[in-house]
Amino acid sequence: MKISDTVVGAGFVTAGALIIAGTLNYPTLDAGHPGPSLFPRILGGLMAVFGGLVSIKGLRNRDTTEDVEWLLLYKNTAFINAMVVLVGVLAYILFVEKLGFLVMGALLLFVIMWRLKVSPVKALIVAVVFNTIVHFLFAKIMRVPLPLGILWW
Amino acid sequence: MIDHIWTALVMLSSWNLMLTITICSIYGLFVGAVPGLTATMAAALLVPFTFFMDPLPALVAIVTMEAMAIFAGDIPAALVRIPGTPSSAAYTDDSYELTKQGKAELVLGVDVITSAIGGLMGAVVLMTSAPLLAEVALKFTSFEYFWLAALGLSATVMIASSDPLKAGLALFVGLFFSTVGLDITLGYPRFTFGSTELLNGVDFIPAMIGLFGVSEILRNMGSSHLQYPITAVKAEKIFSGVAKTLWKYKLNMVRAGGIGVFIGILPGAGADIAAWIAYAASKRFSKEPELYGKGAIEPIVDAGTANNACLAGDWVPALVFGIPGDSITAIVIGVLFMKGLRPGPMIFQQQPELVYAVYISFIIANILMVPFGYLAIKVSGTMLKVPRNILMPAILMFCIVGSFAINNAFFDVGLMLAMGILGYFFENNGIPVAPIVLGMVLGPIVEQNFMVSMIKSEWDLTQFFTRPTAAILGLLTILTWVAPFLPTIVRRLRGGNAPA
Repeated sequence: MKISDTVVGAGFVTAGALIIAGTLNYPTLDAGHPGPSLFPRILGGLMAVFGGLVSIKGLRNRDTTEDVEWLLLYKNTAFINAMVVLVGVLAYILFVEKLGFLVMGALLLFVIMWRLKVSPVKALIVAVVFNTIVHFLFAKIMRVPLPLGILWW
Repeated sequence: MIDHIWTALVMLSSWNLMLTITICSIYGLFVGAVPGLTATMAAALLVPFTFFMDPLPALVAIVTMEAMAIFAGDIPAALVRIPGTPSSAAYTDDSYELTKQGKAELVLGVDVITSAIGGLMGAVVLMTSAPLLAEVALKFTSFEYFWLAALGLSATVMIASSDPLKAGLALFVGLFFSTVGLDITLGYPRFTFGSTELLNGVDFIPAMIGLFGVSEILRNMGSSHLQYPITAVKAEKIFSGVAKTLWKYKLNMVRAGGIGVFIGILPGAGADIAAWIAYAASKRFSKEPELYGKGAIEPIVDAGTANNACLAGDWVPALVFGIPGDSITAIVIGVLFMKGLRPGPMIFQQQPELVYAVYISFIIANILMVPFGYLAIKVSGTMLKVPRNILMPAILMFCIVGSFAINNAFFDVGLMLAMGILGYFFENNGIPVAPIVLGMVLGPIVEQNFMVSMIKSEWDLTQFFTRPTAAILGLLTILTWVAPFLPTIVRRLRGGNAPA
């Protein structure tokens, strides 16, 4: 997902400005010397300057390359698969405590493999077996309290 | 000293450390050989496991894994023309051209032996220079540490990157992440947005797993059916002719080893940069520069030595000053902090056995590289056929559970995801991700030492230049920034026309 340097640079200018704005109410040290605000302000400033330079360079090179066809994204398999991963991990975070790792982990693995064109039967077997191994490794050997949810083991 | 070496050897000879070394060798070889999985990603995914280990096996695990992975990156470079890790990119074309000429065995033989020799050269320099530098480092104050960290940051941006502006942006993002949480002067919460999880700052480990693991998975989502035509190799034949080739280029190896270790010691620049610079130097001094890129063995000897020599070099600033030499040692520093150990000159006095164990594991890993490398080449066909559409979801699962395992918090899984998206977006727009890591590690060092120095000197900036060592480090830092513009400035001063 490449967008033009002009836009990327402008994004960093905004981010730099927001960082500086965020420090405006920070307390100062004795005698008015800057304390917590000094480092973030320098960073925000540098980010804005470098962002500005990237933007100017983009304008000079007439870099308007946008390899994203925004209106055709719904047809772009790579994009959809990436979204499936993002939504999948979010769903995992939201539901894993209720459903448990054994269910939610296997489900996430299955859905992604299915999206990547692994045959459903193979995907199901790999998802369940691999997820159980991960569970055993982390929950049993390393004692990580993975949520048990509806299945207990 | 003999006592410490003995203690380290006794600790390393326990059966569970042998097992750790074996498992991490196989892990490193696999990750290195599979294109799309990098050594840094492997290190980040190893961290949740090291969390449950003692410091010594944790360090041994990382050393072994990285040495093997950087070598194994050469295998797909030779067999399918895709570097397994960025460190093999410099000589991928030469390797593959030679394979097409039916010399795959020679290339792989040279790869494994130069990797081992380079690694051993790096280990020797690490063993000799680190204790000496640690003596010097004992005299350092906040002024010197500030400049050293600033030099590291500058080298990351100006030397280790093709686009300093974009590397700079990535670095500032990393430094910004390091400011999140309670500040050191007043304990004031910065950029926490009311979240209690962020009071302690952006947790390093989930951030690493996101930046190097999740972003790589997202990038691989479009190419589920990537199958490459793999050249079959006869592993038994890989060592024939290697000795003759290496004897011919023995001086190249010495030069490349030197370049590799130097780039390694330089904070911020890692094995990939070492390989590129060694390649360029090799071409510059070669009798046959016209063959480079078209199937020459000479650059493979050079760059193959340099990238492995670099690895031990990267540990020098990491152990001596707590300043990472590359993104993997940045993770190592994170691991040491997690274990309550503070890398720096004191570690040489307080935990000498740990330092000696790192030295010895570099030697063991590089000796083991020859038999293990041979086996990896033997099964390379199978390794390269591992279906990516199963591998990627499996790695995602390790990312999720690994991020969770550090603090048992779902917040960290969310943080990992956010960092994954950031890394994906950055890489796609030509913004390198490694400077973010270095920024996150070096940020607190820069800020703390700056604030301490300022308060100590009652806000007298000249103090940063009045101590001799600080002044030299300060000048070097400034020189790093000015150097690229020097030719232009000199031309202007002479009254000539500067190129636009």
